[in-house]
Amino acid sequence: VIRYGMVIDLLRCVGCNSCTFACRAEHGTPPGIQYHRVKKYEVGKYPTAKMRFLPMPCMHCQEPACLSVCPTGATYRRDDGLVLIDETKCIGCRYCVVSCPYSSRQFLRKAVNYYPSHDATPYERQKQPEFTLGTAVKCDFCVKRLAQKGLPACVETCPAEARTFGDLNDPRSEVSRLIADAGGSVLHAEIGTGPSVYYIRG
Amino acid sequence: MIGNAYQYLRKLGKTPQPLFESSPYRWKAVDPAQKGTRRTLHGICGSCMQHDCATLVHVEDGIVVKIEGNPESPPNYGSLCGRGRSEIMSLYNPYRVKTPLVRTNPEKGLDVDPMWKEVTWEEALDLVAARLKKVREKDPRGLVVCEGFGNRETLLRKEFTKAFGTPNEVGTHGPLCTIHYASCLVHAAFPEAIAEMEHCRYLVSFGRSLGPNFATTSATRRFAKAIDRGMKLVVIDPRSSYEASKGEWIPIRPGSDLAFLLAMTHVMLHEGLPQDVPFLKNRTNAPYLIGPDGNYHRDPATGKPMMWDAAERCARTFDAAFKEISLEGAYEIDGCLCRTAFDLIREEFGAYTPEWAEPICTVPADTIRRVAREFVDHACIGSTIEIDGFTFPFRPASVNTHRGVNNHRGGTYADLTGKLINMLVGNIEVPGGCVGDSQRGPLLAPDADGVVKPQFEASPMPFKFPPDHIDCHEFYPNKHTGPHLAIKAILEPEKYHHDYGVEAWLNVGGNPIRKNARPEMAVAALKKVPFVVSLAYHMDETTMMADVVLPEHCSLERAMVTTLPPPHQTTGRDVCGLHMAYLREPVPALFNTKHMDDILVELADRLGILHGKGGLYDHLNHKQDRHILADGFALSGEHRLDPDRRYTLEEIYDRQLKSWSRGDGRGLEALREEGRFVHWAPRKEFYTYYFFPGSTTRHPFYFQSLKSVGDTLRTNLAKQGITVPGIDDMETIFDLYRPIPHWVENSEIRAPEGFDCWAINWRTPYYSSDIGNIIGNPWLVELCDEDLCESSIVMNVSTADRKGFKEGDRIIVESRYGKTEGRLHRTELLHPDAVGIPGCFGLGTKLGNPSNRRGASWNSLLPLDDKTFDAVSAGIESAPRVKVYRKETT
Repeated sequence: VIRYGMVIDLLRCVGCNSCTFACRAEHGTPPGIQYHRVKKYEVGKYPTAKMRFLPMPCMHCQEPACLSVCPTGATYRRDDGLVLIDETKCIGCRYCVVSCPYSSRQFLRKAVNYYPSHDATPYERQKQPEFTLGTAVKCDFCVKRLAQKGLPACVETCPAEARTFGDLNDPRSEVSRLIADAGGSVLHAEIGTGPSVYYIRG
Repeated sequence: MIGNAYQYLRKLGKTPQPLFESSPYRWKAVDPAQKGTRRTLHGICGSCMQHDCATLVHVEDGIVVKIEGNPESPPNYGSLCGRGRSEIMSLYNPYRVKTPLVRTNPEKGLDVDPMWKEVTWEEALDLVAARLKKVREKDPRGLVVCEGFGNRETLLRKEFTKAFGTPNEVGTHGPLCTIHYASCLVHAAFPEAIAEMEHCRYLVSFGRSLGPNFATTSATRRFAKAIDRGMKLVVIDPRSSYEASKGEWIPIRPGSDLAFLLAMTHVMLHEGLPQDVPFLKNRTNAPYLIGPDGNYHRDPATGKPMMWDAAERCARTFDAAFKEISLEGAYEIDGCLCRTAFDLIREEFGAYTPEWAEPICTVPADTIRRVAREFVDHACIGSTIEIDGFTFPFRPASVNTHRGVNNHRGGTYADLTGKLINMLVGNIEVPGGCVGDSQRGPLLAPDADGVVKPQFEASPMPFKFPPDHIDCHEFYPNKHTGPHLAIKAILEPEKYHHDYGVEAWLNVGGNPIRKNARPEMAVAALKKVPFVVSLAYHMDETTMMADVVLPEHCSLERAMVTTLPPPHQTTGRDVCGLHMAYLREPVPALFNTKHMDDILVELADRLGILHGKGGLYDHLNHKQDRHILADGFALSGEHRLDPDRRYTLEEIYDRQLKSWSRGDGRGLEALREEGRFVHWAPRKEFYTYYFFPGSTTRHPFYFQSLKSVGDTLRTNLAKQGITVPGIDDMETIFDLYRPIPHWVENSEIRAPEGFDCWAINWRTPYYSSDIGNIIGNPWLVELCDEDLCESSIVMNVSTADRKGFKEGDRIIVESRYGKTEGRLHRTELLHPDAVGIPGCFGLGTKLGNPSNRRGASWNSLLPLDDKTFDAVSAGIESAPRVKVYRKETT
């Protein structure tokens, strides 16, 4: 079976946030809701200080903390490794939001307009029906794009070509090769969530 | 729509009030006829000055639902940056100007409601044309056409300006980015010369971005590839930027790069490092003999410059056959003691030791020495590489300077010193080295003196008195754009010797208020201009000052057919050999707006300057692409326009395509089907060395052209008995026209006590250039404001500690010229002498997007005193000395 996963090359990543904007553009998330973030931070002291970047989609864990706490079965894990939310079953208890060690989930409390003192734009009116208020939301590895043999928007858009997507179960796939060659690591390996997002050359 | 609300209020007998703030904008319902439709359009991103990324624009139910990079098309191959993705919000922006407007309140100001009256297009165009006609009849120079990054896609702006007959096209994007002159002089390349990143192994980058916060997609791809393959990157900058974080950061005090560059050159000339002597002898004017007056010593018979033949012990004209060219030495020729240019330059640099530079620029002398040595080591002097069967010199090392280095008095010398460094290793226009980023072709053709002919901005504007150009081009013959000078000349016409007044200002994408130093002076100047017209996208600062507003389409609504603009930041094989024509299919216009080129045609028609000889169409028939010259669109043969007919834009696009030198005769219909016409030039043609190899041309190592322009200016001013306006001691001007770079103190080196920091600025990933009001785009605003490094006033932790500032403190930054305030962010990523104010925040207008008002305005701190400009480029000082203090809250 396939296990979808992603490799992010931190040497190539320049922190431009193109991925974050691609994610917004793909999903039309309301203000304040970002399925993807780039954590920007500093390392070192002057005069050797540097910026560092950590792009963070949902980790699509093999043992997702969010799944085990979900009381209704709204959160589920597919055979291909995608961790998804069935919004018709979500009751908005937010257990998943607090349990995710990567802060990958947000609770969609209410819809705010992009231009705060104005009506929703035609774009928002088109996109808002895709969201259910009072539910948890997060990155779905662009499941609709995958269904059409496409790549997640953040992978497609990356100008630095820092992201690779593929089958972690196939040892000959590009993602497996990169992890093997460069020594891929996952975030918070110690807690045993088994993320499907690997980082190399950090 | 404001008009509806206006009429509604009028019906109620109420005075119209500022409506943007008081009533939410209500969008029209979706056209039922569009329900259920789905289309994908070919797009070209319009969200930065580069505007070259090919996109796909997805439209559902008549609504744009997604913009993404076109995966099949260069230069971005499916990638797209945040600004490009956010373009949807520039389309659906309630703060757009939605219909033609005429001012009813004569009082003007950024916070004064113009009390707009809605009018029809006919009324607005007739009104503007009638006023401009009067201006033209009186003196066409009285019209300023002001362009800028807001819309640089227009096909007809230059032709409109020419047909009107005014020399005054003023660009507001330039005086804070004077990066052109040295590359125009040494490489004959415009806009500039940059590192060839496919082969470069050692890049020393001063005061610039290499991609991540500028032309993000293709430049970032090439940058990431170079880092991936192990290119050593040394970033000399007051800030540990995105680029510096991927290489070695050498922090430098703001505005002092010239000292580092002079010292690096000193090390290369005086400390036993190898030089590319064959290059210097055969491919530069370094061996030319210089007379006691500082000019080329010329052969009395032919007037040609001369070199010394060491084997024959005599001087010959540069184009004679030489047995052994002398690079060094002093020689008596016809009783005149001459020295080689190289000798003079080496002598000039004798004083600039790293120990001299260290206290100025704060970089340890040993570090300067190390960078010089590593640079020379990596340049592989003497090596060659074969490309397409042609043997090139291979010099995989480059030094590049940019805005942060050049925008100071003496900044042109910093740029030129960078060229000297590159020439010492012979890396000009060869693989791995420093290469122009525009047209490929026979650019390096020599002039009568055997030296690369100065092109573009290095080709001086002839003197005329009284001057024609409102931006004082006559006094700064090699300047970049001069909106700041135009503003000053409007305010004080006598001082700048103009014998005419500015009667009208036609704004076509520029913004002299937001994009320049001292915004309040630009406001005062525009108040003084009797008639201001703005072809406007939103209610920006300049539009607030307008008498008539002609609303233009946003970029998604603008049809466009264009050739790929030249890459502006970093180069690599993947784009530079590419000639491409592609198109933007417009989405339906949301409001009562027009395409800018259609507006210009309508105005030209009403002014009687559209048709006939000297009309807009006639000028278009003779247009050549400014950047890629013969590789760009030009109308030819049967495809030329009949100047007496009227054409649609589409008809013009079709004719341009059919006569494109790199095309195959197909037109717009075929382009619509295919999305792009692509032609790859052979790889060897990527390097302009190929067209003039070996000793067939010479780069200027001794800047005779600079001296000659200065000498001519001196003579012309003396004839009129005047100085450069605002300059008391003319030697401060001519000092910058000497043929050898030397140390120049900019206006900020010495400052009164208390002004203990320098304010610096950089572009951010959320804001690169002012297009489509991206500073107020809510998608970009959301992420920008979370990114404290890019939205605050930034200061080194130790400096903040010394001043007792805590994270988040409200602080005031005050220069000798202005002040601004904002939130403090403490960081280790900045030189302790620097205060960083990123982006282009602050200002805004009463009727504009409130987001435009947030943040600190770096531009407000900059000087507009003529004495502070670089005498050659006319660039504005970009690192003003400042004091910083906490804002006391009451």
